[in-house]
Amino acid sequence: MSRGRLGKYSLWQFRDFAIDRGIAILIIGLLWGYTLIQPLRLAMGPAFSMKPSSPTWPLLITVASSVVWLSVLIALNGIVSTDRKMGYYRFLFSKPVSVVAYYAQLFLVYMVGVVAAMLILSGILHTIVPDFSIVNFLLYTALIFVAMGGIGFFISVATRYDWVTLAAVWLGSRALREFYGAKPGLRGMLVQLLPPVHKLNDVANGMISNGSAPTSDVIWLLGYGAVFFVLGLLLLRHGSLAD
Amino acid sequence: MPPASELNRPPALVIEFRKVGKTYRSLLGNSVKAVEEFSLQVVEGEILGIAGPNGAGKTTLIAMMLGYLRPTTGAVEINGLPARTYVERNGIGYLSELIAIHPKWRADTALVRYATLAGIPDAEIPSRVDEVIDKLGLAEHRDKKVKALSKGNLQRLGLAQALLRDDQILVLDEPTHGLDPVWTQRFRGIVEELRRPDRTILIASHNLDELQRLADRVAIIDHGRLQRVVSTGYEQSASAAVTRFRLTLAGGFDRIRESFPLAESAGRGEYDVTVRSIQELNTALADLISRGALVASVVPERSVLEQQFREAVGESQ
Repeated sequence: MSRGRLGKYSLWQFRDFAIDRGIAILIIGLLWGYTLIQPLRLAMGPAFSMKPSSPTWPLLITVASSVVWLSVLIALNGIVSTDRKMGYYRFLFSKPVSVVAYYAQLFLVYMVGVVAAMLILSGILHTIVPDFSIVNFLLYTALIFVAMGGIGFFISVATRYDWVTLAAVWLGSRALREFYGAKPGLRGMLVQLLPPVHKLNDVANGMISNGSAPTSDVIWLLGYGAVFFVLGLLLLRHGSLAD
Repeated sequence: MPPASELNRPPALVIEFRKVGKTYRSLLGNSVKAVEEFSLQVVEGEILGIAGPNGAGKTTLIAMMLGYLRPTTGAVEINGLPARTYVERNGIGYLSELIAIHPKWRADTALVRYATLAGIPDAEIPSRVDEVIDKLGLAEHRDKKVKALSKGNLQRLGLAQALLRDDQILVLDEPTHGLDPVWTQRFRGIVEELRRPDRTILIASHNLDELQRLADRVAIIDHGRLQRVVSTGYEQSASAAVTRFRLTLAGGFDRIRESFPLAESAGRGEYDVTVRSIQELNTALADLISRGALVASVVPERSVLEQQFREAVGESQ
């Protein structure tokens, strides 16, 4: 008897993403952009401009980057933990498929899904703001998906409450870095091990505006996410699916 | 025709539990032993029942057999491979006690998804899905979403996905839970059809009558320990100590005490009789019939399995 056809199953995984998460991401992205930019446009009237040199450009970058991390949060929510909480793993993994390969593929499918959703949103934005680069924005999306998604994936393997935990890790890291980051001593050194969320603003500004960012920051973000993604896969390989 | 040496060979070992133990530990340091020192071998062609009271450890054992749980001690091997490795390479037809299928999936597309994961080629999926849908009587429910299915239909859908592939091993956890009497009976027919010399079937159930009918042997577990393994054939109980039977007569009621002096009347032509062996029962019955009585039925008060179960669980408590 043949082994399972995981590659073919990716089409079902993509369909699930589109229905369960993709539509929500598009709606939230559209509403988020509209409710933040439209009032500004109305208030400024003819003075409103979205050129990279204009004062409204940083706002646009902030909105665009926050749509990305919110989308990654929505995409990664329950990526592994839902199957375990609801017991869906029982029938899925009695079939001849590797648990590790199944979730690694799911992570990639969701990444493609988020990038596709961002392509639609940035395509719409580009028609209003021609200086907004779709390619730069998609590169940033892929970077954040790996950086933040890798950590989210690990948390989803390790805990049942991944969305809350990821948000707490993200916000906690930011707060602790601001508080202890510049201080000498052990605490200052330890906070350096936390997720590099403090690099996100600079990377967002650089990548979305010019398509470039400090290489060390990009490597640090990608590496951090990739390490946690691999740790998540190792935990799946050597841990238990059932409680 | 296989060679004679092949025909005479003993059935191959398929599943082996070797001193398997599972202990759950809480963050506060409390621990609960769900399974302890469980050792058992299951061979090809066998239908093994697993019986035990609630919380005995049946589902934990099955979870370890599928590689969903890692044993704290010991190991589970299938065809010489670690359990999870075997499942990832070959798959197992598995019906879980809790049927968890995404509620928004349609019944037939759920089967198509599982068939894809099971490695069934695209060209064969529609016919294979139709086949299991027909077998399990789900034709009129195939377009429904999983959340719209009744408990019994959901159970049948669970069984349908377990039968999609021609797996060498089938594991059915409480398979008739939620089924009506008609489907409970049909299920027995389906399992009998699935019996094959090269297939191994495990059935965990509370229903001792079901296990008595279907299984070759039944492992009785309680408090996570294997209490005993019982063969379900009556030949094993030919020399059993004392067994009670209920006799129903259709005529010659006044003859009963000539053959069974200690028979107790249960009314409406029914009598409870106690014998020390199957031979003694048959001798007395032959005598009763020769005296002109008409025997309508002879039913053991408790099956061999039920008797053993009561003893095993009673002993462990």
